[in-house]
Amino acid sequence: MTPTRRNVLLFAGGAAAGTALSPAPWRLITDAALWSENWPGVPAPPRGEIRTRFTNCSLCRAGCAVRARSVGDQPVQLAGVTAHPQSRGALCPFGIAAHHLPFHPVRLREGSVDAARVAISGRVGVLDLRPGRTASWTYRRAMAAMNGIYIAHEPPVAYDLHKARTVLSLGVPLLEGWGTPGNVWAARPNFHLIQAEPMQSRTAALADEWLRIEPGTEEEVVARLASRLEAEGPALVLGHAGSSEETVFAHSEAPVPAAWQNAAALVTRLEQVEDGSLDTLLIDESATDTYLPWYTIAPKLKPNAVVVTFTASRGGYARHARFALPVAVFPEAAEDIPTAIDSPEATFRISTPLAAPPPGMVDPAGFVADLAGLPKSDTLRERADAIHQSGRGTVFTPADGKSLELKSFTADAFWKALTDSATWIDEPGRRKRLPYLSEPTPRPSNVLFSPATPALLSPLMTKLYQESNLQLAPNRVAVNPADAPAGTRGLLQTELGKCAVEITTDPAVPPGAILVGSAPGILDICGPAARAKVVAL
Amino acid sequence: MKYRGKILFFAGMLTALGAGWAGLPYALYRSRPQPVDFSHKVHADKAGSKCDDCHGFRADGSFTGIPTLDKCAGCHAAAMGTTAAEKNFIDHYITPQREPQWAAYARQPENVYFSHVTHVNRGKLKCESCHADHGSADRLRPFEQDRLTGYSRDIWRGKKMTDCVACHEQQGLEHSCLDCHK
Repeated sequence: MTPTRRNVLLFAGGAAAGTALSPAPWRLITDAALWSENWPGVPAPPRGEIRTRFTNCSLCRAGCAVRARSVGDQPVQLAGVTAHPQSRGALCPFGIAAHHLPFHPVRLREGSVDAARVAISGRVGVLDLRPGRTASWTYRRAMAAMNGIYIAHEPPVAYDLHKARTVLSLGVPLLEGWGTPGNVWAARPNFHLIQAEPMQSRTAALADEWLRIEPGTEEEVVARLASRLEAEGPALVLGHAGSSEETVFAHSEAPVPAAWQNAAALVTRLEQVEDGSLDTLLIDESATDTYLPWYTIAPKLKPNAVVVTFTASRGGYARHARFALPVAVFPEAAEDIPTAIDSPEATFRISTPLAAPPPGMVDPAGFVADLAGLPKSDTLRERADAIHQSGRGTVFTPADGKSLELKSFTADAFWKALTDSATWIDEPGRRKRLPYLSEPTPRPSNVLFSPATPALLSPLMTKLYQESNLQLAPNRVAVNPADAPAGTRGLLQTELGKCAVEITTDPAVPPGAILVGSAPGILDICGPAARAKVVAL
Repeated sequence: MKYRGKILFFAGMLTALGAGWAGLPYALYRSRPQPVDFSHKVHADKAGSKCDDCHGFRADGSFTGIPTLDKCAGCHAAAMGTTAAEKNFIDHYITPQREPQWAAYARQPENVYFSHVTHVNRGKLKCESCHADHGSADRLRPFEQDRLTGYSRDIWRGKKMTDCVACHEQQGLEHSCLDCHK
């Protein structure tokens, strides 16, 4: 048979049809996809021994106990510890994905440490955004030694949700990360929840009653419901005074060495700091429970004051600081976590590192202690010894899920348990009654604030933030569909300034109101009295 | 010739079909024996071992997979027979304390997640449901490694993702991509 062009094409056509009917192309397509997964440069966790380790999440004060599945030294899966008496096996979405944080693309990895140390001079203040830690006491002692100011907003109260039968929440995101998630949900069946706020937030949607109120009318709502709260009590009022004695207590802190207390500067609230009095402000953003808008901080600084922030990203105070020094992130940093807002008993637990921090990270407390010339010491161990000397409370160990009396531990055994992520919980008899609680009534505003989020979020939480919009992303604002401007990008404008935002619509937002994300840039221009508007770009 | 065109077309087709169905496996998969001539049958019949004696769960529920040499050494500290396979195992692995480099049929790409504890303890699935008669086989079949991907040709006798989906559908269980592909 002559190999003419026609013959070759006929044979090739048959071969093509035969190939399509054979597994070859389909197998090769699959294999090519799998092959490309193993190309050099494609990240893959190293193989190694699979083991379980424990730590405590330090993303917020809840400090939930964490069980980490690790391959070699790399945590690959985080979960709760079911037997933990407070966190009860729950982790929030941020905590579940927290092992991604060390790899965050916007993470700060270098800073001018030596230059910052040289630039610090004059009257120094330390702004501590998570008071109650062992590091906080280091700051207080350092400020006492340097005649500086320790600035913090200590939480004044602790709530016992389990004692409450009626909870009136005035816009507090009780079911969206307010306290310890596992503890809140364990107590939830036992109380009737009345959520009073202008928009139907997720907490409002899950509450037994949602009272749609106008901003600034919180005091009237409490007065109107006072007799009912008393009849259906014990009552707990979140966001305002009016709780029963059984449900609200003074915030408690784990024992500290007497020597620290004697050498510590007083706690000063930011508004008590004299305007224009600080030459240097050191801001510890490594662990934050709150964000104080820059317009409240700036007046306290002298012209050309040096601002140094210890931070994991450039998104917060680093925008205003001369020096941004990089810090370890959870789960790299060894630090203690102060008592949660929903724990009337003082607690002490250490966030044991699950991974090594990259080189060049700064320990904020160590940096400040060096500045003040404090002697080097293992402060966490000293704090643990002070707790042990108190001889009270119980110790929960996550590995075996047991709680034992502190008295049954030697000092070394207690320290070993703490470094293995145990939780010390004070005895209930140490609860302190709260003498008086006053909460400022928010002023009327069309700005609604979404629940705060950690400074760094796992970049893989796209389902929550980008695709499903289940949680308002920090750089987004939500408006009622009737108010929506054209386009998805716009400017948020208030009398304090403006910033670029992404716009989304949410029918739960009342007409005329704007629900704002918790990005520092947005919070800086949304004061409590601000009226805001969104314009399309 | 009257049927020349059809003959050429089908000749090309048959050639490609033969190459695709019969030739591809030879070209694509590299076959190699396991390091130890292990018999599940001997262990099940003579030692009365059950699957989870060697392939158990850790305290956190994770699956131990192929046991390490320590587990084997518990019984094979000294030779337990006179077979060549036993002598090879003692001389080359137990005595020098060298882990056999088993080729795992079930090793999956990094983006595939499978929980044994969920299926075995919660779903009450028997090992044979997925591994067929692997637990009673007298010999370990050769490991067929895909030259392109480096992975095993299959887990056991052709078990693939479609079998997982089919079983979930048969059991009326919900499933989604993210259940396994994390």
